[in-house]
Amino acid sequence: MALRLLLFLWIAAALLAGFLWAPLASGLGETTRVLYFHIPSAWVMAVAFTWSCAHSVLYLARRKLEHDDQAAAAAELGILFCVAAAISGALWAKAKWGEYWNWDPRETTIFFLFLIYGAYLALRGAIEGEEKRARLAAVYSVIAFVTVPFLTFVVPRLYSSLHPSPIVPQRGEQDSIDPRIAVCFVAMLLGFTALFFWVTSLRVRLARLERRRERAAAAAGGTA
Amino acid sequence: MPPSGSSSVAAVWAILRKECRSEWRTRYGINAALLFAVATLTAVSFAVGRLPDRTDLLAALLWVVLLFAALASLAHTFVREVEGHTLTFLRLVASPAAIGIGKLLFNLLFLAVLELVTVPLYLVLMGGPPPRWGPFLLVLGLGSLALATTTTLVGAVVSQARGRGALFAAVSLPLLMVVLAAGVSGLRAQWEGNPAGPEARVLLAYVATVLGASLLLYDHLWED
Amino acid sequence: MSAVSATAMATVEVAAQGLEHFYSGRRGLSAVSFTLSAPGVAAVTGPNGSGKSTLLRLLAGLLRPTGGRSTLTVDGRVVAPAGRGALLGFVSPELAFYDELSSLENLTFAAEARGAREPEGLARAALERVDLGERSRDRVAALSSGMKQRLRLAFALLHRPPLLLLDEPGSHLDDEGRRLVERIVGEQSRSGLVVIATNDEREWKLAAERIELRGRGLGHIA
Repeated sequence: MALRLLLFLWIAAALLAGFLWAPLASGLGETTRVLYFHIPSAWVMAVAFTWSCAHSVLYLARRKLEHDDQAAAAAELGILFCVAAAISGALWAKAKWGEYWNWDPRETTIFFLFLIYGAYLALRGAIEGEEKRARLAAVYSVIAFVTVPFLTFVVPRLYSSLHPSPIVPQRGEQDSIDPRIAVCFVAMLLGFTALFFWVTSLRVRLARLERRRERAAAAAGGTA
Repeated sequence: MPPSGSSSVAAVWAILRKECRSEWRTRYGINAALLFAVATLTAVSFAVGRLPDRTDLLAALLWVVLLFAALASLAHTFVREVEGHTLTFLRLVASPAAIGIGKLLFNLLFLAVLELVTVPLYLVLMGGPPPRWGPFLLVLGLGSLALATTTTLVGAVVSQARGRGALFAAVSLPLLMVVLAAGVSGLRAQWEGNPAGPEARVLLAYVATVLGASLLLYDHLWED
Repeated sequence: MSAVSATAMATVEVAAQGLEHFYSGRRGLSAVSFTLSAPGVAAVTGPNGSGKSTLLRLLAGLLRPTGGRSTLTVDGRVVAPAGRGALLGFVSPELAFYDELSSLENLTFAAEARGAREPEGLARAALERVDLGERSRDRVAALSSGMKQRLRLAFALLHRPPLLLLDEPGSHLDDEGRRLVERIVGEQSRSGLVVIATNDEREWKLAAERIELRGRGLGHIA
């Protein structure tokens, strides 16, 4: 409870600081603030999909449904943060490049990640029996995850990139970014990461409770 | 008795021959796939007309036709086992890896037959410049290998889900985007007189990765 | 029937320790423990839904247990679940063959896949044993359900395995067929091990030992 409140205050404070305390980065103007959402979202998306894949492997190795709950919850949240990163990125792109979407390599990659994990959830929905669903979804998750790095090699050959290649802008030209921007940015990164793990743990607990209730209902039906 | 190397080879060979014989007896798989491929080809060629000087479009549309033909047909080798309830029989005589590789080889053969009809027809109908056969066949061959490895594993997973027809395409497609991108870029390069080596290397690495992961994952495909 | 078993007096032991299976939270098989060894015949009996078929699929390595484990030991070597198909014959109502192939082609394929030296000869011999020799070239789709059951028996005997797992082996069979099952069980029991899942008195009477599965109770050897 206290931690939850702390997390809320933390993110709210970082947000306010980003708008009121930190200066604007030169060359980015007002769009600086998008970075406080955009990069943490993209980061959490990467964490979430990696977490999902790791738990898929663990499920195949140990066959504990808890791992499947983790994998599913992380994939769902990963999609959410994927959408958040895409929307914030599109807004930024509109402001800086004039178009919402340019099929820039990073945009392409994020789009395919969305498709892959959307397919993962669609597949889950189509398999009956929780052990079977967990097993087959884990197989798909692993194979999907290993194909993702190839996008990085292939896509730039088809489309040229507009995305600033140093993720935090102008690192090379000006010696360093303003430390206040860095503080807000890191605070948001930590806040988003904590938010992800907290919501994942909620989803996992919910899944556990639902399973327990179903088991209890099945057992009661069996004896009656 | 752990399956020894030679008995696994025997199993793969027996499965490949069995698949061919079943396909020859029923023929609905290959007939439907050929018709579908030719129909797609016709639609594409009617829609865009002849493209003698647009090698970028020629490369893209050829892969789109092949991708759709593959997605329409390459799951059926597993779907047939599930619908005929013959997986128990198969699992009693061969290891999961032997089943996976046998099916993979069959899918590859299937794709080769499909391409033998589609590709020449495509080149004639679209009126493209003659390809440089070496790089052309290299990219086509590696791309087909990549298509077959991915769809074999995904087909084995999706055949155990509900609504497998539509799901198979939706679930395979995001994984095949890399193959599509590399295939298109490679074919374009050979038409424009550039080396297709980088694309061939990406495709080869992709095949090696997916095949390696598949060999680990086949063991988890059938457990009930 | 002079088919000499190739596995004359193999030492076979099948054991289950706390073997159980759940599917989506539903109990498929309550924990059972037993040890069976060749030569001999054991029957698995119990009401519908008590898990007879589940138990046989678990022993065959087709199903992964939720809890406990099963072990198959042949000539002192423990056989991993995935490799058990080569050492046991399995008959079950769910076992289906390729409709578009003939009985002979189906069994030849099975023998080939297992790496047999003379696959077609083995397949013919197995089909003769269940009196399907004359129909061996007919497609499976054209066989009656009784003939399909004989084909299942032929498939189980194909590689002369030291262990037979028979789930309702007499289903769809006429009197002649049932006598065939008795002969098969009798011959196998001299050299190897047979486990029959059945509620048919004619079948469990063939067994010396009995594993009774009760709804949710514990299995034990009666």
